[in-house]
Amino acid sequence: MNIVVAMKQIPDLQQIRIRNRKPVFDDVPMTLGAIDKNALEVGVSIKESQGGKVTVLSAGNEDLEDTIKEALAAGADEALLVIDDALAVAGSDVIAMVLAAAVKKMEAAELIIFGEGSGDNYSGQVGSRVAAILDWPQVGYASSLELNGNMLRAARSLEDGEEIVEVTLPAVVTVISGINEPRIPSVTQILKAGKKPKEVLEPEDLGLQIPAEAQVLSLSNLAPESERKQVVLKSVDELVQALKNENVIGR
Amino acid sequence: MEFNLSKEQSLIQQMAREFAEKSIAPVAKQIDEESKIPEEILAGMAELELFGIPFSEEYGGADGGYDGYVLVMEQIAKVSGGIAMTMAAHTLGLGAISAFGTEEQKKKYMVPGCKGKHIVSFAFTEPGTGSDPKQLSSTAKRDGDYYILNGTKRFISNANFPGAMVVFAKETETGEVTAFILDKLSPGYSISEPWEKIGMHGGQLLDVYMKDVKVPVENLLGKIGQGFPVLLLGIALGKIGTSTAALGGTLAAFEEAVKYAREKTHRGQPIAKFQAIQLKIADLAIKYETARWLCYRLGCLANNIKDPAAFAAEAALVKAYCGDNVVDAARIAVDVHGSYGLMRDYTIERVYRDAIIGPEIEGVADMQKMIVAGSILKK
Repeated sequence: MNIVVAMKQIPDLQQIRIRNRKPVFDDVPMTLGAIDKNALEVGVSIKESQGGKVTVLSAGNEDLEDTIKEALAAGADEALLVIDDALAVAGSDVIAMVLAAAVKKMEAAELIIFGEGSGDNYSGQVGSRVAAILDWPQVGYASSLELNGNMLRAARSLEDGEEIVEVTLPAVVTVISGINEPRIPSVTQILKAGKKPKEVLEPEDLGLQIPAEAQVLSLSNLAPESERKQVVLKSVDELVQALKNENVIGR
Repeated sequence: MEFNLSKEQSLIQQMAREFAEKSIAPVAKQIDEESKIPEEILAGMAELELFGIPFSEEYGGADGGYDGYVLVMEQIAKVSGGIAMTMAAHTLGLGAISAFGTEEQKKKYMVPGCKGKHIVSFAFTEPGTGSDPKQLSSTAKRDGDYYILNGTKRFISNANFPGAMVVFAKETETGEVTAFILDKLSPGYSISEPWEKIGMHGGQLLDVYMKDVKVPVENLLGKIGQGFPVLLLGIALGKIGTSTAALGGTLAAFEEAVKYAREKTHRGQPIAKFQAIQLKIADLAIKYETARWLCYRLGCLANNIKDPAAFAAEAALVKAYCGDNVVDAARIAVDVHGSYGLMRDYTIERVYRDAIIGPEIEGVADMQKMIVAGSILKK
């Protein structure tokens, strides 16, 4: 089975410093999104049980050639990269268009796995948009997957419960972080990652033109400020009553 | 000059950090209390190929260089000095076999060692000898196709695990110090109970008793009388491990102090707001950064040793610095904690006990300084 795992290159969130209430991205190394790593683990596990290969697919700037080694170390067999500086700031619609065009170029992909959202912007749109462009069915919020032939059974983790759905391949699946614990690659898996097959395309190779200007500008990414009520309580009973009064509990 | 890690090096560091935090940290206290490394931790390390990082894939290693080894050791040592000690002694033994072993010896002893099926030892010290090979009293007497080894070795790491032990004895015919590879747990080989030491629990030191242990002639490591060069290089490689174990301890001290300074409040504000604490945090950062780059550089130098004596002097310098440095760092970090730093509930208490091992093992600090001075003044 040809499994495609789509992953996004993002700044390493743990290394971002904040200065004047703004994130500083200088010298912050790039990495792959955390939920994307769950998606990769799903793909690699399916390959290990059912055979086939896992291709990691990504679009971004030239740093991607180095960053993608993380995925190749963690079990992807090969990489297909679409590289252009403009892709680093492109919106979800452009990225989806690029990824879908790349999938069409690949030999018979049957399953595309995404993380539910990227580690930086978390728009959660790209998976659905790719499914729409390819006209494939899509399963979102997958918390477990079971594959029987070309029938995929997925549990979807919803707010008030779990939904079990079945879908015929080819399909797009977006997974949540709780679906697994990504494996830790060994020393040789890391060292050999750079030697795995990697195809690098430019948008023009897919017949696409990418707008040079960012379509989405981040004006602010601060958490909304909330005013503390600073209520002083003397007992648990008082606390319970206060929470009830605020409609936090006992609704 | 390049001071950045490559992507692969960053990933190796990240891998070791993740394994250390997810698998070792939750049982670090247990390892300290029981002085035993759980089997599943050793199995996990073997799976990630941490027992043969610098060695060739041909002999079961990961081909990750000593630079890869220091990156991993630092992260492991940060959470468990005992595991770091075990890994350091093992890698030292393998390093000696890798440098002086025959093709057959490397295939026979390095492959299971690098795969973590065996844990290797390096046995020089005796009850009556410190660092002076001339004082060695263990003997190896040729008898047909075997050497018969007799003697006692002191403070030997990993002596209770199956696998190879690089052992030094005087060959009786020539009286020359010679190295051999001995299969641990073979007839005539016995061990003491582990020594109860102050820190780095889990990394066990035992005495080894050799009573007519038969070692095949083909297990001669190097040549008769070549014991000193084997010892010189082996110990120098070992200092990469002990220095980096100290580096990991320094990082632990630094991080624990920063964490505590941010969490502990005095008169309504974190103690990190006080200048007295800030100066200590700066001292810890200086101690960590200086030790870090010395260790990383030593790892890079070890990948391509042209002159073993020059490398031994470099290793001695790094070991002298890092060994003392971790003790100073741990002390400062305890000071940041105040009385709480003395309590077993706080990680820094273990870090402090582990740290004091640093200047004393693999050659005491003063001996390292004599090697350094000798390398300068003899020129």
